[in-house]
Amino acid sequence: MEFGWFLLATVLKVSFILGVTVLLYAPVFVLFERRQSAMVQDRIGPMMGGVKMPRLVIDHLQTLQMGAFGMAALCGLLFLFATAQVWQGNGTEVLFTEPVLGVRHTWNGMMFVFGALAAVHVPLGVVLPYLFHHDRLTIFGGLHALFDAIKAFTKEDVVPPEADKFLFSLAPIIAMVPALMLGAVIPFGPTLYVDYLFEQLPAEGTIGGAAIPLQVASLNIGILYMFAVGGAGIIGAALAGYSSNNKFALIGGLRAASQMVSYEVCLGLTIVPLFMLYDSLLLDEMVQWQVDHVWGVVVQPIAFVLFLTASIAEYKRVPFDAPEGESEIVAGFFLEYSSGKWLMYMLAEFFEVATSSMLIAVLFFGGWDVPFLGRGGWEAFGYAFDLSGTHWAILSEVANSHVFIVAVQIGAFVLKALLLGMLSIQIRWTLPRFRYDQIMQLCWRMILPLALVNILVTGIFILLTGI
Amino acid sequence: MAYLIKKPARTLSEQVYAVEAAKGLGITFRRLFTNVFGKAEDKKIATIQYPDESRDYPERFRGVHRLTHRVDGSPRCVACLCCSTACPAQCIHIEPAEYGEGDPRHGYERFPRLFVIDELRCIFCGFCVEACPCDAIRMDTGTHVPASWSREHFIFDKETLMSIPGRDGTYVTDNPRHEPGDPTHPGIDRDHHH
Amino acid sequence: MATFKLDGQEIPFEAGDTIIRAAWRKGVEIPHYCWHPGLSVAANCRMCLVEIKSQRPMALPILAWDEKKKDYVESTKNKLQPACQIEVRDGMEVVSKGAAVEQAQASVQEFLLLNHPVDCPICDQAGECKLQDYWLAHQKKLKRKTTEPVHKPKAVTFGPTIVYDAERCIMCTRCVRFCDEVVGDHVLDMRERGNKNEICLSPGRTLDHDYTLMTEHVCPVGALTSKDFRFKARVWFLRSAPSVCNGCATGCNTWVDYDPRTQQVYRLRPRDNEAVNKFWMCDSGMMSYKQFHGDRVLTGRVRQDGRTVEIPRDASLDAAARVLEKATRLAVVFSAQHGNEDNFVLRKLGIEHLGARSLYLAALSPESVPGGWKGDAILKSSDNNPNRAGATHVAGATLGTTAQLVADVRAGRVDAILSLGWAASESVKDLEALSGVPHVNLASNIGALTQSATVVVPVTSHAEAAGTFVNGQGIAQQFARAVQAPTGIVSAWETLVDIGKRMGRELSLTRLPEVRAAMPATSASVASSAAGSQPAAVASSAAGSRPAAV
Repeated sequence: MEFGWFLLATVLKVSFILGVTVLLYAPVFVLFERRQSAMVQDRIGPMMGGVKMPRLVIDHLQTLQMGAFGMAALCGLLFLFATAQVWQGNGTEVLFTEPVLGVRHTWNGMMFVFGALAAVHVPLGVVLPYLFHHDRLTIFGGLHALFDAIKAFTKEDVVPPEADKFLFSLAPIIAMVPALMLGAVIPFGPTLYVDYLFEQLPAEGTIGGAAIPLQVASLNIGILYMFAVGGAGIIGAALAGYSSNNKFALIGGLRAASQMVSYEVCLGLTIVPLFMLYDSLLLDEMVQWQVDHVWGVVVQPIAFVLFLTASIAEYKRVPFDAPEGESEIVAGFFLEYSSGKWLMYMLAEFFEVATSSMLIAVLFFGGWDVPFLGRGGWEAFGYAFDLSGTHWAILSEVANSHVFIVAVQIGAFVLKALLLGMLSIQIRWTLPRFRYDQIMQLCWRMILPLALVNILVTGIFILLTGI
Repeated sequence: MAYLIKKPARTLSEQVYAVEAAKGLGITFRRLFTNVFGKAEDKKIATIQYPDESRDYPERFRGVHRLTHRVDGSPRCVACLCCSTACPAQCIHIEPAEYGEGDPRHGYERFPRLFVIDELRCIFCGFCVEACPCDAIRMDTGTHVPASWSREHFIFDKETLMSIPGRDGTYVTDNPRHEPGDPTHPGIDRDHHH
Repeated sequence: MATFKLDGQEIPFEAGDTIIRAAWRKGVEIPHYCWHPGLSVAANCRMCLVEIKSQRPMALPILAWDEKKKDYVESTKNKLQPACQIEVRDGMEVVSKGAAVEQAQASVQEFLLLNHPVDCPICDQAGECKLQDYWLAHQKKLKRKTTEPVHKPKAVTFGPTIVYDAERCIMCTRCVRFCDEVVGDHVLDMRERGNKNEICLSPGRTLDHDYTLMTEHVCPVGALTSKDFRFKARVWFLRSAPSVCNGCATGCNTWVDYDPRTQQVYRLRPRDNEAVNKFWMCDSGMMSYKQFHGDRVLTGRVRQDGRTVEIPRDASLDAAARVLEKATRLAVVFSAQHGNEDNFVLRKLGIEHLGARSLYLAALSPESVPGGWKGDAILKSSDNNPNRAGATHVAGATLGTTAQLVADVRAGRVDAILSLGWAASESVKDLEALSGVPHVNLASNIGALTQSATVVVPVTSHAEAAGTFVNGQGIAQQFARAVQAPTGIVSAWETLVDIGKRMGRELSLTRLPEVRAAMPATSASVASSAAGSQPAAVASSAAGSRPAAV
């Protein structure tokens, strides 16, 4: 493949993974963090912020809703009519002698278009009233979160007079950037064969032509890169505590550093059994193993629990937030931070939740794997979801096309990470904080030995079964 | 004397923690789904969206002061200064004056020429209401002092205090008072010759 | 001395004393409304009823409830006697406490409040009302009467100074007796009977003699109120400082009642002193508090090109120092309106340091005050200056009059004047010549001397500094500071010390006791003549304390 194409593909991949992290996971997790926690605690939560809407819109919300449902019903009728036409074998019949708006309309196309329109308008109608609160557009409190972020960013940025100005400003960047860099090795989809986008691929065998692995970089040190980069985040927290010239911040920084270093060890050891099973350090090959065999969580449930625990400790959220320790050391290592710098720590936390959720999805939940969906089509139908020759040929054509399958798989990956992130947020609102000595004991006396035993057992298993 | 506190016994599942954590997650998730998707009667949301909705203050809430009116709209207050005497925050300033010659209340009563409360200084203890012998100052307005931009806006004068209605929307009180001219209050009923 | 027993306490008495007077002299109070130590006995309020144990009781037949028989049976009880009317005899045994007396006091109290409007919130007496005090001490029960009280005239104007409220009146006749016995003017009397009883004026009269405000002070309740004080303040906000009236040479002892929050004097009240004013004060004396705040000089003033210009006090001190430095034939004018301390320091600076030979005394004359001044045989002295004797005494020399000063200025015998006080017997026009030479005047108020001065330095008024007056009888009486002086202004003697300092003359006087110690022993000798008076004539302590009302 030419270098130019390679560059373009890489830029697109980087944009995708960053975009998903920054524009999807971070805001969604922030919103969940606020609203989900509120709901768990029987509160409404912060959702007052919003954009004032014209009276006309507010007064006629019901009308708008009715309109959406009406549109859905209309599209549904047209969809049924088109379906009936397809049923009668008129699927490819051209409706107009001349193309309208440059498109040749067929009953098949009509069926898809109106089906999609009807499908979109129903949830739109359902959700519409909930997007508003009184006279404001609030989007379930999403705008409130956005306004809070804007407010935080525009506040006065206070740097303590005795602080080390350079390190103080550097620390939040060091904390945030590694969280984003982790996305580089995460495979968010299968290999994309650009030459066969709209065709059904063979289930087995090699495929020629240009192939784009949907992973920014398939490093041969794979997972080690993650630990290396993730380990850099420690410096952000430790530097913040060190440069603030504040005893609480220093204690917080020290706690963060020792906690993260300790759990880094656990993090590494808990997934050694996976390397042994997957027989690779490349994340894309790990996913491929799970596609070929079974999801990691099934064969290594203990490793999953340990890894989840260790990763929560690694990104310092409840119940492992001793470095912030509001009740004893005020706000821990970022105590002196305000405005945008403080916001960077907050964002770094959510980026870390996002990347670690993606990582867990890759390691234990088959990454982009969708059960019963293979490269060549839907396994559930024995690769025989084939309607060609009938009036419905177009359905199987679309469903079996390479690009559709890849899209479904990418979507599955995004969804998996999203659910895992929600789980970690739910854990945050369920468990009380550990004492600091408990955190360290849990690491060195519980997780570490268990991880070692897990390695031993897995080793014996592999030795006996000869996998 | 030091004494030993017995640690509560733990079962194995509690000791493992992960099991209990999973149970806890079950509880919180159940709560989450009930509150988000559940039927209205199952939801247990305790909070309200404050400026859009608000709860009524309790019956005995001590709100912003008001000066009650007589039936003719003049203040009940006779400027006895009992409230400003009782006031621990010293936020009430009153200047008394006498009803003029010809006024039926001339000689009977006086009235506040100035009645000023510094609502920022006030600690809303209600002592003024307790002290008032005429039921002239009350805190039964059911509302707090509205926020404002300037300190001067919190200096409530007589006219402002008299423009605040009670919780029932009226400016008077249920307590009766005798006015000169009432059958129960014949006033100066004998000539007084020198 | 012969004694009698009151509630087990031995109390000495003088021949002719009643029980209540002997007790009062010892400082023991028997509740009373109508009795006043300075007035005759009326014995009409019946509040002072006591039981006399030592004599055969006068038995009253009564019906008493018998618990056993469940019926009233005939019985007797001892008759109580009014303590204000019974003369004490040696060895008498009196009980003013106990069930019988307390029941009588409660009943009398209830009777007096039967038709009382209970309008304490709008009554100016509230806070110093005997009805309130005794209700709390001796009744403490709610009114049993449920019917509408009898209504009587309210807000009746008795005269230019006094307003009468018949509903509040308890008919003790103190005011009537005061007018009759002290003033000798039968202007008040009673009319009607029973619950229609009220105080009235003599036909064709108004309450307009010179002691009308005193009727308000003898009134134990809120029936008589002063038009001046009416609705101005609540007495519980006021603090009292012991002072001496500066209205005339009698030197009546006063309480200066002021509000400590605003540092504003609201009224003067007589302070009991048998040797000087007994219990009384005249109207003009009581109204003299007006000049504590009115027409004050609060900044320095200099005369430039025929106009008076206000300058900061500090600059006026420098101007005064410059004038006095240049003077070779200085005239010093003492003030009969200022205390001994001020006059003494003036003598120190003017005579001893600046070598003045021309000495004068500025004093008010009866004709120089608005409306004139007339002495009487009761309290008012013919001399309307409080300290002529003291000023002359501490000056230690013969003092000329201001008229002589005018003549001396005209004759050129004087090239500068240092004068104290605003008061002078001449009018501004008569004193015009005084501004012909540099004239430094230390004044609290605007007066004739002030207006003829070229440099005026502000000083404290009478209520703003402590001092000593020597009255017409030669009794030296100290008075305490009541209110704080306006910012920056200090007393005349301190101002003189400051002026001296600016001229390089160190008077070495910084504190009031130092001045009093340095003053000629005169004050001590004259003060001795006041010894034995009761209560103490020298009231330099207890500023701010409120004495019990008589």
